[in-house]
Amino acid sequence: MMQEKIKLFLDTDLLEKYLLGTTTKLEAHQVERYIAMYPEVRKTYNELQENLEAFANSYAIKSPEGLKASILSKIKAQNTTKRKFMNYAVAASIAAVLFASATYFFYHQNLSLQEENSVVTNQIKLLEEDMKQRLEDVRNQFIVLNNPKTKKYTVMGNDKAKDLKAIAYVNPVKKLSYINVQNLPQLEEDQCLQMWAEVNGEMINLGVINEAGNKDNLLAMPYAKNAVGYITIEPKGGNETPTVDNIVANIAF
Amino acid sequence: MSALLEKHIIELLQERNEKAISLLYENYSDTLYGVAYKVVKDDALAQDVLQESFIKIWKKSETYDPTKAKLFTWLFRITRNTAIDKLRSGKSKQEKEIQMDVSDVYKVGVDGVNPDFIDMRENLLKIDYKYQIVLEALFFEGMTQQEASEELDIPLGTIKSRLKIGLREMRKIYIEPMLIFWIIATILL
Repeated sequence: MMQEKIKLFLDTDLLEKYLLGTTTKLEAHQVERYIAMYPEVRKTYNELQENLEAFANSYAIKSPEGLKASILSKIKAQNTTKRKFMNYAVAASIAAVLFASATYFFYHQNLSLQEENSVVTNQIKLLEEDMKQRLEDVRNQFIVLNNPKTKKYTVMGNDKAKDLKAIAYVNPVKKLSYINVQNLPQLEEDQCLQMWAEVNGEMINLGVINEAGNKDNLLAMPYAKNAVGYITIEPKGGNETPTVDNIVANIAF
Repeated sequence: MSALLEKHIIELLQERNEKAISLLYENYSDTLYGVAYKVVKDDALAQDVLQESFIKIWKKSETYDPTKAKLFTWLFRITRNTAIDKLRSGKSKQEKEIQMDVSDVYKVGVDGVNPDFIDMRENLLKIDYKYQIVLEALFFEGMTQQEASEELDIPLGTIKSRLKIGLREMRKIYIEPMLIFWIIATILL
């Protein structure tokens, strides 16, 4: 059975075609399997190879002089172009790496610049809002001060704070009032001046008067009919409720 | 070709040592040139074919698998196919140009025959012409067996059997006497 299979295979021209390299890939695969599996096929193939060499030898002609040198120089030239190509490839790779790292660097720089830009933009926005707010304040203050109905009161400190001098502006029509502290008395290290307003029997904290910042500022005060303003000496940082004993000035509107 | 030298050349080829090409040329160029000439039947073309084949051999050396084919079989395939390709591309060019004088070209080829191989040529003549014509059609004309059958007006089965017998005849004429010679020489020495 197997012998028959081998004979059938050898009867085809597959082995001869394989010898000349004219088989298809599929055929070559089949031939190689037969050669590997069956010693008889292998022997035939080896004989065919020897016969081919003998057959080809019978056609040998002295090869031309000088052709060998030409072939060798062509091969050498090819190898050098290959080497040259390799050199170029290496140079190109280095350039590519440099380019990539530069790109990475600039990308990050760009990112951080964008971040900085958005921070600056935000700051400008905040400043703008702040400016608008202040301008609005100033405008309101101006309206109050400029109004003919606005009354001006001079507030002087009592014996506890003789140097205290403040000016209050009250407009009952617009229902707005401001106070401007002109001069502060000398206080102990751990003391501060705090402003209060009594509105409908309740004491409202208007905040600590800072020595530095408040001289040129008008402090807005809540307006109510019959409101009374007080200035007290309190421990540094301010108090939750006014110390009645330490009242240095009151402003009645 | 001694098996040892063949092994050495294969090793050099796989190491991509240029010396391999030098050794290949020294040992195979006459036969391969003969093959190229037999296909293209023109000196200059055969030289081109030989040169291109050797460059292909160098380029493809890493793909050569010694377990699949003897070194010569591989060299022969490359040279034969390069020559057939050359002939085909040349033929399409020639159709537009002047027809070449075949007899002239043939003469040049005969002049170039190496005297060392003249004996072999005589041996070849000893194979029956009917085998020779089939072998040449298949090996040098690039014909398939089907094409050879049509071209030579011989049934396909006969082409197959003449190919096998023809190759076997070659063996009787060339290889076996050599083997006997070597056996006798070995015994005597």
